[in-house]
Amino acid sequence: MEILTQLIFSGIALGMIYAVIAFGYQLTFATSDTLNFGQGDALMLGALVGLTLVGMGVNYWLMIPIVCVFGAIQGAVVERIGVRPAIRIKSEFGWIMSTIALGIIFKNVAENVWGHDDLKFPSPLPESPIRLLGANVLPMEILVVVGAVLMMAAVELFNRKTIWGKAVVATFNDREAARLMGINTGLVITFSYALSSMSAALAGVMIAPLTLTGATMGAVLGLKAFAVAIIGGLTSGMGIIVGGIILGIAEKLTGFYLSTGYQDVPGLVLLLIVLAVRPAGLFGKTAIKKV
Amino acid sequence: MTLAIRLSAVALACMAATAFAADPIKIGVDGPFTGGSSSMGVSMRDGVRLAADEINKAGGVLGRQIQLVERDDEAKNERGAQIAQELINKEHVVAVVGYINTGVGLASERFFQDAKIPVMNNVATGSVLTHQFDDQPENYVFRNSANDSIQAPMIVEEAVTRRGFKKVAILADSTNYGQLGRADLEKALALKGIKPVAVEKFNIKDVDMTAQLLKAKEAGAEVVLTYGIGPELAQIANGMTKLGWKVPMIGSWTLSMANYIDNAGPGGEGARMPQTFIQEPTTPKRQSFIISYLKTFAPKNNRMDSPVSAAQGYDSVYLLAAAIKQAGSTDGPKIKDALENLKTPVEGVVTTYNKPFSKGDHEAITANIPVFGEVKGNRVVYAYADDLKKASEVRVKDVNAKGALPTVKK
Repeated sequence: MEILTQLIFSGIALGMIYAVIAFGYQLTFATSDTLNFGQGDALMLGALVGLTLVGMGVNYWLMIPIVCVFGAIQGAVVERIGVRPAIRIKSEFGWIMSTIALGIIFKNVAENVWGHDDLKFPSPLPESPIRLLGANVLPMEILVVVGAVLMMAAVELFNRKTIWGKAVVATFNDREAARLMGINTGLVITFSYALSSMSAALAGVMIAPLTLTGATMGAVLGLKAFAVAIIGGLTSGMGIIVGGIILGIAEKLTGFYLSTGYQDVPGLVLLLIVLAVRPAGLFGKTAIKKV
Repeated sequence: MTLAIRLSAVALACMAATAFAADPIKIGVDGPFTGGSSSMGVSMRDGVRLAADEINKAGGVLGRQIQLVERDDEAKNERGAQIAQELINKEHVVAVVGYINTGVGLASERFFQDAKIPVMNNVATGSVLTHQFDDQPENYVFRNSANDSIQAPMIVEEAVTRRGFKKVAILADSTNYGQLGRADLEKALALKGIKPVAVEKFNIKDVDMTAQLLKAKEAGAEVVLTYGIGPELAQIANGMTKLGWKVPMIGSWTLSMANYIDNAGPGGEGARMPQTFIQEPTTPKRQSFIISYLKTFAPKNNRMDSPVSAAQGYDSVYLLAAAIKQAGSTDGPKIKDALENLKTPVEGVVTTYNKPFSKGDHEAITANIPVFGEVKGNRVVYAYADDLKKASEVRVKDVNAKGALPTVKK
């Protein structure tokens, strides 16, 4: 029992890491039907900028808003350079290549600025584990789970309660109609990219003390998060959290009860099943695409 | 001093300089200077640079200067193969030193073998590397690092015999390096009549080792043997801290990598691994090496990122230089013959190489040379006080040294 609890806790912590990254995919998909495939690299840049700030003597908690601003700017740049031209010419696939290309460029820049090695991110909380229901949990893991939920709740609230958020939702529902109603949809899309990269950067500094920090940290995480976004559904915030937790726990349980060599398989099998049975994801709304 | 004498001195110096510059000896240096293995690659390159610099300052080899042609293989096999062809056909190198990753070495060496250009493998440890061309009359691949068939039994000896652990878990990464090493560990354990209680795998960039560690813990493991590289090894140590389960970690030499030590922090202390060189000034040669390395490259906290790679890189150049000098030529087959029959001992940092190679044996390091290092206070120190005390007596190659696994035949 103790082992199962431990595995589930570790799975949840890992799953929430995936979920916060996947959340960024959902944000941009909601407004523009496009994804930022450089999401993992936005996360990496956030973590590295955060590390530099901490190295300069900035307090961890003070550093977070600065990293958020940096993330927002970075996201806006990605949208302006990579996505807007593709949307303007109504290209179906242009944005895929351009966001991947920008991701690679960011990674190379990071390699040149911060070097190639994985670096240690000093933990703002004590690094000794806490006993919880007979299992060990790191304070940082709790912070990631709480931080992720808070962040998603904040964005949901924003979308529902503020005029800006309503513009985002309207753009999501029908971009053309929103534009005719006087909403500057281009700006809304830029804004959603800024928000998406901001959440990735924030995720980066939250998870960095648990993972290692380096130019390649985003690659695997970005891919896993993409699987989570597909499993949970690209249109549902709830789905992202549930999808993340399912994937995280599935990995840990397979690793322990089956074999650590097959750890990554169940998540991908789940992905295939979801795609076959419910292509919109577990919680996603089935979209009818009018042609 | 008259003007005439001064002028003629300048003229002489110029002539000497042009004579050197006209015909340098080109040596290729290949390693990963970027990416996950770069701490080893860069330390190796710095060691190589240091040695070449010293040789050049002392007048070069055969009166000619050594010129290094450095190439970054990014730890990619196909990149290594491209570089090998470039070094042979475009740069016309006389010999090549380097290779950190066994896969890259395997992919590149055949080109040098065909071109009859000697390769001095100075870091990669895959046992098969020097046996790739056993079926050919001549073998141009040499090595001065401790290969896996030496390291695996050393790890097992340390865990089982010296420290008396009976229940052993193996954690290895899913790369060639990790899996070949795991196989060697299992073989070495079998020779002691021990079957590991858990054999677990992890991937590069895995951020959570809970499942692997819980399995080892549940199986009652008293020690964890590792084969992997720095960042993931650090995650293993961090995972142990998290689970509140602390057993000794003993593993391949990569546990000495700076990115293991830094990322694992206090949880990584006490890990032990075989080392051919530990950053301690135990002989005058080692002392001068450490001093000039620190002075030239100024690593963080005066700690070499990978002391083993730096020392082996440094020695590899001296071995080649000695062979070129003895051959009196830069002709590949002649250098190879000289390497196989080096008449004068070469004093290196790792050991003094007295007849390090012969026709059938291209391994300079035997099982008696490496010692155990331990992570202590954020650096690697001698694990046993006895080894440190005796460190000034250089351990030299002993072909009859026991402990190595039977050589793999290709």
